Amino acid sequence: MGSEGSGGRVFQHRGGGGIGGTNSASDKVSGVTMCSESMFYGSNWDPIVSLSQSGNFGNSNIVSQSEFANPVMLENQAMGSSLAQFHSDSGFVDLVPRIPNFGSGSSFSEMVTSFGHNPDSSPNLQKGATQDHCPNSDGGMLGASPYGKRKREVQQGASPKSGEEEQRKDPSGDTSREDDERKQKSEKGVARGKQAKDDRSGVEPSKDDYIHVRAKRGQATNSHSLAERVRRERISERMRLLQELVPGCNKITGKAMMLDEIINYVQSLQQQVEFLSMKLATVNPELNMDIDRLLSKDILHLRGGNTTQLGVPPGLSSSLPFPQYPQGAFSSAPGTGSPFHSLPQQHAWNTELQGLLQMGYDPDPSGSMGRNGSSKMEL
Amino acid sequence: MNIQPPNSSSIKSRFAVKFVQAMKRLSKRRGMGDRYKRYRATRAAARVSLAAAVGPERAWSRAVLRRIKKRRGLIGRTTTNPRRNLRGLVPGGKGMDYCSLLSETAHYITCLQAQVQVMQDMLHLSSP
Repeated sequence: MGSEGSGGRVFQHRGGGGIGGTNSASDKVSGVTMCSESMFYGSNWDPIVSLSQSGNFGNSNIVSQSEFANPVMLENQAMGSSLAQFHSDSGFVDLVPRIPNFGSGSSFSEMVTSFGHNPDSSPNLQKGATQDHCPNSDGGMLGASPYGKRKREVQQGASPKSGEEEQRKDPSGDTSREDDERKQKSEKGVARGKQAKDDRSGVEPSKDDYIHVRAKRGQATNSHSLAERVRRERISERMRLLQELVPGCNKITGKAMMLDEIINYVQSLQQQVEFLSMKLATVNPELNMDIDRLLSKDILHLRGGNTTQLGVPPGLSSSLPFPQYPQGAFSSAPGTGSPFHSLPQQHAWNTELQGLLQMGYDPDPSGSMGRNGSSKMEL
Repeated sequence: MNIQPPNSSSIKSRFAVKFVQAMKRLSKRRGMGDRYKRYRATRAAARVSLAAAVGPERAWSRAVLRRIKKRRGLIGRTTTNPRRNLRGLVPGGKGMDYCSLLSETAHYITCLQAQVQVMQDMLHLSSP
């Protein structure tokens, strides 16, 4: 994370310099350079940024609608609603003189108009009709500056308020994440000053009307927030996956509690393995006939729905010091998924088993040391 | 980035095979009376055969196998040692970024579940 931050910072300075230089309507060019720069600096950013950009380019309909390399569009994807809370309005002041990019800045005008007619045009904006507001650009822009100044004062004290408003207006459900993003970015914004953040004028008409008044904060933060947004989405996706895996986690919401639950579960599984291995160590000598029976029993399990799993002998269950994770719950999960696998796998198992037993199996080159290691480890 | 979720039945069969073989070898060794040593060896064999069954595709299995190759304290990782931290629980979790840690955890949980099932089956079979 530290290296990410440093990379981002470097990036932002360059981004600011780059944008300050190209003030003309070569927004696309600057956007492209921004993209290339974003891929350039911060080596450990590369996969994230490229992934986020490719993801954005592939997924968003806004991009499909309008110019591809438009940095303002990039901002749209990236910023989302996270632009709404910028604390320092200096970016907006920068915005006003930079306005002339109407040709490419349809989204920009969109932003301005949304900014100007916030309550009115919000439904239109949210539908993503980026092209419709071009003719309004003048009026919007003209109206923007006083509104902007007014909003500057509003925003300086009212970041939580804007957060609430945004939550109210934005039903997308990203709000919690955006709050986090917002806080992070507001800190960064304050820390880095205006010149670093130039290009964050991105309006996202389809998602939020709010915005993005924080005009043109550096592209660096653009890709930064892009990366963060992608990262957060990935994290939440994996948390959802984990939530399905861990039994009894459907009611729990919130990352912290989910993580606690996951940690508990992993610990309990590991303890279970230890306990079972202790038992197996004492029971050991009867393993000679186990293999075939074990595999056949697996087949039975897969087909029959794990009845034997639930039927833990009372002696064993009373001695188990495990928490309340129901044995059937997680045993059913892999079982139900593979009843149709069992048939073709019988033959596979038997042949593989015989082959392995004859050869003295060598699972994979990296695992070849495994056997020796395990036998010698306890010395 | 998301590798597909594991086929738990295949992992179960692979793990079962390897683990049973390891246990056989363990039982043939001398100096393995009914002692704490045996328990430790069994536990190590369980961990190792699970990692070997999973193969080098996953970061956590690679971390386990790496640790074996280095002949480090594989057994030292008892369940109580790691703090309440996911990075301490999942093998190889210290050097990962958060996203991959989560996906490794998901895979690791599936594999642990498979391991527990197989070992329970073995117990039931050996002493019904």
